[in-house]
Amino acid sequence: MQKAVLRSLPEPHNSRQPRWRELSLLGPLSKWLMSFAMTLLGLALVTFAMTRLSPIDPALQMVGDHASQSTYQAARLELGLDQPLPVQFLRYLQQAVSGNFGQSISTGQPVASDIARTFPATLELATAAIIIGSLIGLTLGIAAAMRQGGLIDAIARFVSLFGYSVPIFWLGLLMLLLFYARLHWAPGPGRLDVMFQYTVKPVTGFALIDTWMSGKAGAFRDALAHLALPAIVLAFHALAGISRLTRASILSELGQEYVLTARAKGASLSRVVFVHILPNIAGTLLTVIALAYASLLEGAVLTETVFAWPGIGRYLTTAMFSGDMPAILGATLVVGSCFVLLNALTDVAVARIHKGQAR
Amino acid sequence: MNGRSRRAKLLGAVFSFALAVTAGVAHGETPANALIVAQSIDDAVSFDPAEGFELTTVQSFNNLYQRLIESDRAEGTKIGPALAASWEAGADGKSLTFALTGKSVFASGNPVRPEDVIFSLTRAVKLNKSPAFILNELGWTAENVDKAVEKIDDTHVKLTWTADVGPAFALSLLTAPIASIVDEKTVSGEAKDNDFGNGWLKTNSAGSGAFKIASYTPHEALVLEANGQSADKPKLENVILRNVPDVAARRLLVEQGDADIARGLGADQIDALKDKPGIKVLSVPSARTDYILINSKANATLGNPAFWEAARYLVDYNGIAKDLLRGQSQVHQAFLPVGFPGALTDTPFSLDVEKAKKVLNDAGIKTPVKVEFIVFNDQPFLSIAQSLQASFAKAGIELDIQPGVASDIYAKGRSGQYQMTLRYWIPDYFDPHSNASAFSNNRDNSTNTAAKYAGWVIPELTDETLAAVKEQDAAKRTALYQDLQKKVQKSSPFVFLLQGNDQVVISDKVKNYVQGLNADQVYYDHVEK
Repeated sequence: MQKAVLRSLPEPHNSRQPRWRELSLLGPLSKWLMSFAMTLLGLALVTFAMTRLSPIDPALQMVGDHASQSTYQAARLELGLDQPLPVQFLRYLQQAVSGNFGQSISTGQPVASDIARTFPATLELATAAIIIGSLIGLTLGIAAAMRQGGLIDAIARFVSLFGYSVPIFWLGLLMLLLFYARLHWAPGPGRLDVMFQYTVKPVTGFALIDTWMSGKAGAFRDALAHLALPAIVLAFHALAGISRLTRASILSELGQEYVLTARAKGASLSRVVFVHILPNIAGTLLTVIALAYASLLEGAVLTETVFAWPGIGRYLTTAMFSGDMPAILGATLVVGSCFVLLNALTDVAVARIHKGQAR
Repeated sequence: MNGRSRRAKLLGAVFSFALAVTAGVAHGETPANALIVAQSIDDAVSFDPAEGFELTTVQSFNNLYQRLIESDRAEGTKIGPALAASWEAGADGKSLTFALTGKSVFASGNPVRPEDVIFSLTRAVKLNKSPAFILNELGWTAENVDKAVEKIDDTHVKLTWTADVGPAFALSLLTAPIASIVDEKTVSGEAKDNDFGNGWLKTNSAGSGAFKIASYTPHEALVLEANGQSADKPKLENVILRNVPDVAARRLLVEQGDADIARGLGADQIDALKDKPGIKVLSVPSARTDYILINSKANATLGNPAFWEAARYLVDYNGIAKDLLRGQSQVHQAFLPVGFPGALTDTPFSLDVEKAKKVLNDAGIKTPVKVEFIVFNDQPFLSIAQSLQASFAKAGIELDIQPGVASDIYAKGRSGQYQMTLRYWIPDYFDPHSNASAFSNNRDNSTNTAAKYAGWVIPELTDETLAAVKEQDAAKRTALYQDLQKKVQKSSPFVFLLQGNDQVVISDKVKNYVQGLNADQVYYDHVEK
């Protein structure tokens, strides 16, 4: 980056300007791609080592304790467990690079198709949750900062403490008990009602899109209703962090000179907050929201379990319990890529925001 | 003021949207032509009867496939005709000839032929998957099985075997799910890389049972659809097994009427549902037995028969059955479960700390003794382990509970790297030998049996066990198994504690649901709503 800039210095206004721009973009992109690949490689290596170091014997897990010794040996051979560990790892990498993540031991299906089925479920849930979580979190945080020490501040503090500390599966069960079993406002666990689950053809894997496309009356509404409770439970967890950070950031900005100046010039508190402070802290807030989103994408195992939501979190957990190496590696790599990509996108977005402000 | 009313309008809009979304959510109704079962299907690995050996898949096989013969639904040891109308044992006592009904048809419309029987049994042996050892009991191997199953004519097929076992035993092996008959024409068409169609059958079905697999989504749902070709057409169009991993969520679903049947609920959930209107709790005895396994090779104390005897008096049998498991198990102290011929039903042992102390003292075993106790990291095993920890401590035996995942505990059992563990046993086929071959069979540590895992070498008991499996006279055979059980009950590194009761929560609307003693005996074909 620095080199490119230096090279461009002697002729800053000439017609070759677009070329150094190209160079400076290409440099970071290839660097980023390199670090992305290294991250995934490291992730794969650590996951592989940890899974193989765990006391789970995938072959025994697969055939069970009653199976004969010859069946067990055949299973070990089939899983390639007779090979030295480095060979197993390299063989896996070789296949993974060509897009073949292997076959899951526990589902008997290609890992790629398992992920294509479970990841959209998680993505749908996490996206709904982060939208709800950020909207409420930001609103609460701003309101709490503007009425510091007031009732809203107390409520916001209570909500965020509650969101942080309450076990999410307990909250999920409680919500089910209240809104499904008692009040009958929400449907039970699952992504769709039985009526639609097996009649709506999964095309994209996103229940909302598939039901919309199916054109079946009530299907989309059913999908939306099923999404509501788990999304709210997850959102509750996410909004705790978002609202606290929003509040803290605004409060710290309130003491800054530019705010005092604006106030002295007669700007109202809401004008100061919305026009002056929020653009300044947008980068921080975006980073926090992106991190919360990334952690939701890792799979909210407990929420997915309580709500019978067949997402990637549950897929990964059940795979871990059976030492299902191909599934564990495949799912970890996908989740890891999401994390890295989301971080990179956030960096770009934050840089854009700063650039905009500098202008 | 203006801002406030705008806010009020906004709030109103949000709430009415939420209400519009959730209003009219259907409750308490499952489709009239479908049975909805809420359970965990996370264990399912393969719906190929030659491979599937997990609870979920094993419970599906009776609904998807037929075998030549079948266990009676109420009385499992009674064998009745299925795809074979009749059968006849050879004079040498080492062959059986089956006459097919000639009328049975697979879901594909293909008739059931001797070729299908040959294909099914031989592929099961050659694939050599988890349940293959059941057919290996006949001496069948990948090399000799082609000769062992032969076509006599268009409706007759003959099975021969080399193992020293009688036709009665061979018949009971053939009631196991691995002996299910698959449609050779359909399955061969789906075969890839010499896999005998195993890859395809993992998620599809090709049988002559009352249902066929309409769709299977791992960790999500198994949807069965009535097999239109079935002679005994099921009453319901669909059976949907929904994966509901959380037991509390399962309970809510059946309570609200959104599921017709819920399986695998814990004692707490069952207690809460017992008196609810609209549902009932079925308590079906199961053939599962829970036992303590002691590694007699771990150290001198654990290898001392006095320690085994003392352990029998240090279990709070009634406390575990009544207070902890509350109807999910009953006290049982022999290796054959009630329902199997010759099962011992007496319970000679009860918690008696003083007696245990005396036995230990007389044998010169010094207390306190510390024993590592590896236990499945799951309920009810951990609760039972805690009860044992408390009662053993009273005699100065300190159980150090070490929870672990199933495969780890199996592996430690196989390699003898443990001191004491809590295990369960489910028979693989409806014959006493399925259990005897595990608990009273270990001549020289050459085969994997529970006795081998206990480091318990018992050539004499092994001879008796093998004599029992050969015995043709049913009454004599029963007597032999009773004798074996008594010996194992009296002195062995096994302490039998409990026999399971499968508690199934079922809606009042559901009629004719049948479940038997053995794990595979779940039948949806006659269910009505």
